[in-house]
Amino acid sequence: MGVKKIIKTVFMLEILKGMSLTFRALFRRPVTRQYPKHKREPFAGFRGLHALTRRPDGDAVCVGCGLCAAICPSQCIKIYTSEGADHKKVVDRYEIEVLRCLYCGLCVEACPFKAVVMTDIYEYSSFTRQELYMTKDKLLANWDRFSEKRKKTYFGSFWKPLFTDFSGSDKQAKLQDVSKAKKHEDIYLEAGK
Amino acid sequence: MPIQKGKLRKKELTINMGPQHPATHGVLRLELDIDGETVVKCTPHVGYLHRGTEKLGENRTYLSALPLTDRLDYISSMANNVGYCLAVERLFGIEAPERAKFIRTMASEMSRISSHLLWLGTHALDIGAMTVFLYAFKEREWILDLFEMLTGARLTVTYPRIGGVKADVSEEFLSSLYKFTDEFPKRIEEYETLIDQNRIWLQRTKNIGIISAEEAVNWGLTGPMLRGSGVDYDLRKYCPYDAYDQVEFDVPLGKCGDTYDRYRCRMEEMLQSNRIIRQCIEKLPQGPIMSPDAPKLTLPPKERVQKDMEAMIQHFVLITKGPITAPDGEMYSAIEAPKGELGFYFISDGTGRPYRMRLRSPSFVHASILPKLCEGSLVADVIANIGTIDIVLGECDR
Ligand code: SF4
Ligand code: SF4
Repeated sequence: MGVKKIIKTVFMLEILKGMSLTFRALFRRPVTRQYPKHKREPFAGFRGLHALTRRPDGDAVCVGCGLCAAICPSQCIKIYTSEGADHKKVVDRYEIEVLRCLYCGLCVEACPFKAVVMTDIYEYSSFTRQELYMTKDKLLANWDRFSEKRKKTYFGSFWKPLFTDFSGSDKQAKLQDVSKAKKHEDIYLEAGK
Repeated sequence: MPIQKGKLRKKELTINMGPQHPATHGVLRLELDIDGETVVKCTPHVGYLHRGTEKLGENRTYLSALPLTDRLDYISSMANNVGYCLAVERLFGIEAPERAKFIRTMASEMSRISSHLLWLGTHALDIGAMTVFLYAFKEREWILDLFEMLTGARLTVTYPRIGGVKADVSEEFLSSLYKFTDEFPKRIEEYETLIDQNRIWLQRTKNIGIISAEEAVNWGLTGPMLRGSGVDYDLRKYCPYDAYDQVEFDVPLGKCGDTYDRYRCRMEEMLQSNRIIRQCIEKLPQGPIMSPDAPKLTLPPKERVQKDMEAMIQHFVLITKGPITAPDGEMYSAIEAPKGELGFYFISDGTGRPYRMRLRSPSFVHASILPKLCEGSLVADVIANIGTIDIVLGECDR
């Protein structure tokens, strides 16, 4: 056994090295976010609680075509329609059982009228199942709560569109200045507004 | 009082490890017959997390079965999504455009890093090195944040689509990811400082759970489990899909196939993934992100749906009936997921739903080698062996 190896074994050099690393970590910036006090704003396009958008006259945009219910993999959307005046289709009930939802966002993609959307609301735990059975009124209320906060039109700025230009315009993102990029600590510790 | 000979009954003790044991990484149950501290017999029981993904896949259209694959290997859901989309694309004979391919490659490598980081953290924690766990999870959190930036969800991403990807990458995302790749090799060095030469780590991993190259091939192992034994087999290299043929990377190999070698393999793989991500960002081409030559398979843009009758009909048919242009026949397609070879096997009867969807999941195959690794070893090494095969029960039980 060489002298070096003896010194290594006796003085536990590799363990000391590891210890010194953990000691140095003591002086680094902490990366723990104190959750209920500090909340990070979700990134644009976050898939949270559902909402039904409103027409300018206040009613839901949804026409009851049922595409969202058809594509939903967990089949948690229920739509009941009836015939109204002028043979118009009336959406009586529109319900999403969010406890069974996968938050895949396929319903948003399927809806031709941008009537069902996903908001960035993620705090909605509850003690009862009824509260999380989203009826049409609750979904419209979600939309009010969300649009009030955002004060912007929803599509385009928040939900990233499925299709960008097929022609391959110059506007597509490519790697620019890395020095401007935020470090993880900065993203992570960003407090909510 | 002296014990009389012949009166004492000697028998192996049977204990259940799991399904709620914290070190079994999910709901794996091992039935161990132990003689003192030595395991005489080990019988793995799987199926506690069975959700019938294969059967569910037969009742959903090709489009809406995609989110089910997220829930297979839920810590690298991006790789599963890519595997599924690639399989369906091959079935229909279409190909994603270049830009989408690069984005997918980038995203699957991100999920490889996040999966290996979780493995490193929990494996080290099981063996008794708590610090690595905390450090590895810090970087994993970074990746998950990047996933949220890209896809809108942290774990179950549902990001690739048949014929491309859901949304384009943003500049903010690209530069943040590039920053990550700058930092990450330093972090790997940190983990190595903590455990690589640590004598306890070495004692717990060296010469534990040895699998020879021949055995590894015979048991059907893939991924780092196979490469740890020195068999050079990587689908990314030898059967390239997406953009893997346009980036440079090495396939790390182990020598003697013990737990330590597999640990080294996975650490190297993370560095190689880092390299692939960097190249993908640098080479990212401009262009469409959804295949333009497959209008029967991809949802038309919303603007067209509202104005164009044909697009509207196509939209309705695609969602309610699925892509009904599927050719008859069967096909198998596999990708290199973080755990090993993840294969999808479809039998199509020309309707919008697969007649049969079969999954070849690496975790199920790897779980089958546990008895071989554990029998004759100590109970404490069972934990090291469960850690080293890196199984996720969601994928194992499907
Ligand atoms: S997000 Fe997915 S699972 Fe949830 S309601 Fe929409 S389609 Fe169904
Ligand atoms: S939300 Fe959209 S897809 Fe669903 S029924 Fe209403 S209009 Fe149709």
